[in-house]
Amino acid sequence: MSAIPYAATEVPEVLVQRQTRSGRIAMTLAVLAMIGVAAMPWWASTGTIRSVLVLCCYIAVAQMWNLLAGYAGLVSVGQHAFMGAAGYALFVLAQTYGINPFVAVFLSLLVPTALAVPIYLLLHRLDGPYFSIGTWVVAEVFRLTASNLPLVNSGAGMSLRVMKDYSAFERNVAMSLLCAGMLLVTLGGSYWLLRSRFGLALIAMRDNPVAAASQGVNVVKLRFLIYVASAVGCGLAGAIYFMAQLRITPGSAFDPMWANVAIFIVMVGGIGSIEGVLIGSLIFFIADRWFGEYGATYFVVLGLMTLMVALYARTGIWGLISKRWDAPWFPIRRKLVDPKH
Amino acid sequence: MEWFDALVQGILLGGMYAQYALGMALMFGVMRIVNISHGDLVILLSLIGISIATAWGLGPLPVLIVLVPLAVLMGWVLQKAVLNRVVGSDPLPSLIATFGLSIALQNLMLQIWSANSRSLPGHGIESQSIEIGGIYIGLLPLIVLAVATGLTWGLDLTLKRTRFGRALRAASADVEAAAMTGINPRAVYAMATAAAVGILGFAAVFQALRSTVAPADGPAQLIYAFEAVIIGGMGTVWGAFAGSMVLGISQAIGFRIDPGFGVLAGHIVFLIVLATRPQGLFGKALS
Repeated sequence: MSAIPYAATEVPEVLVQRQTRSGRIAMTLAVLAMIGVAAMPWWASTGTIRSVLVLCCYIAVAQMWNLLAGYAGLVSVGQHAFMGAAGYALFVLAQTYGINPFVAVFLSLLVPTALAVPIYLLLHRLDGPYFSIGTWVVAEVFRLTASNLPLVNSGAGMSLRVMKDYSAFERNVAMSLLCAGMLLVTLGGSYWLLRSRFGLALIAMRDNPVAAASQGVNVVKLRFLIYVASAVGCGLAGAIYFMAQLRITPGSAFDPMWANVAIFIVMVGGIGSIEGVLIGSLIFFIADRWFGEYGATYFVVLGLMTLMVALYARTGIWGLISKRWDAPWFPIRRKLVDPKH
Repeated sequence: MEWFDALVQGILLGGMYAQYALGMALMFGVMRIVNISHGDLVILLSLIGISIATAWGLGPLPVLIVLVPLAVLMGWVLQKAVLNRVVGSDPLPSLIATFGLSIALQNLMLQIWSANSRSLPGHGIESQSIEIGGIYIGLLPLIVLAVATGLTWGLDLTLKRTRFGRALRAASADVEAAAMTGINPRAVYAMATAAAVGILGFAAVFQALRSTVAPADGPAQLIYAFEAVIIGGMGTVWGAFAGSMVLGISQAIGFRIDPGFGVLAGHIVFLIVLATRPQGLFGKALS
């Protein structure tokens, strides 16, 4: 046997390009928007702050659903379980035990974290679509438990009366900072995650879980971590939302409406992208303001739009845009550039 | 005696749940699809049945005779227009499509029939009962149980003995291999969904006779069907039937302990089964 001629190959010199001009522009705008949200008490009315808070909650919940469904392949229709759990935890800690509500917001996140672990260990045994309905059952269990639990005043619900100890301005400052923090954690955190090594693993997993596993991605562990992270993110949104509402009942805390919102936003905006979540959230927010008064008809249209997107345009609006213009707002690709050119 | 009564009532309630669960087991077995609008279709059929009954002055049996073919047609259209486009190994498209359909259906029903609870007039059948050994058993729940048993038996025989059943089982085992042997998967899928929704036609009539229906009731029926299928164990028709019985009994005993605990008791039994025997009580463990 003759030796196979072996040509010494050198690794070609390349630069890894990870940022684009569109990305830099978008990043600047995002930072400015974040500062704008944090500084709301100095430029916006209380009504505007409340509207922005709702929009921020849509964005956060939708992005958490996007991480689950768009990357981990876990389609949940019960993320509102964690919103309500954290909301209730906040009310119990602040109202019943007298902890400062702005500290309690963060402490309340322990509850969705602690609940998400056993729930995932149970539900991951269910196959594909059955997992989804399982998440819904869990949310129902939470709602029925809250309705029967004297600690949270059973079906009558709770009010956050301790908030009256703070002036309107103080509350506005806290809400604005919390909103900015929530955006930073959910959107900024996701962007950081997707650009990291885990991001590569996540994208590989999204494209093909079996192939990703064969390349050394620990799919099982990654799915578990994403599920818990998403539960915490939804919990944060829930705690902030119900702090602004000042009232929580089992029906409002575990409202399946949030599953509709998240699915509509992500599917119409574009699954598997942060840009899609932003586009979808804005569309939903505006549609809700303009057409919310039409009630049932409005929801028929929302439902049919979700159906149409699933049938004909699975990549959503951002998918259609990015097919035509290659200008990502939040670039996560690694592009190899020859430095000699 | 009180607990024995709860047991009997639970089995009778299970007869109702079996009628929801059969269709779901069939569709998942064949296509790996869960139709989230499953419960909403029951409610839609119930409301149509109630409207037909009041408009034409029909009794329950003629309504059933009209409703079942209508349900079969609905299932066939659902498959052709929606599900055939989303069936595949990725569960996301089918879930999202049927989720959207569910929201649209619920709100459309709200528009047409308003949020009021309605029921189908049974001309006395709903209040008759027979006494067996000191326990009064409602005639209607007994009929529901008998029909559920008949449907399960019929579906099981169809799957085992007929040409259609063989095609279904082949398609569920391996679609591509089935297609090579001359089976048209799309046609098989359309028949499976037609059969599944057709069974919901029975469920719709009995649900409207037994209690009331309102446009927002669908998701609860979906969840009961799902729990019955998982408790019983996937892959067998009789498993879904047995799971329905377990769910019905759990709820009936839960209601006896505390009225606020009934539905929750069913959920808890479901979670216990999932924790201890994920393949279901009558399912085979995956190797």
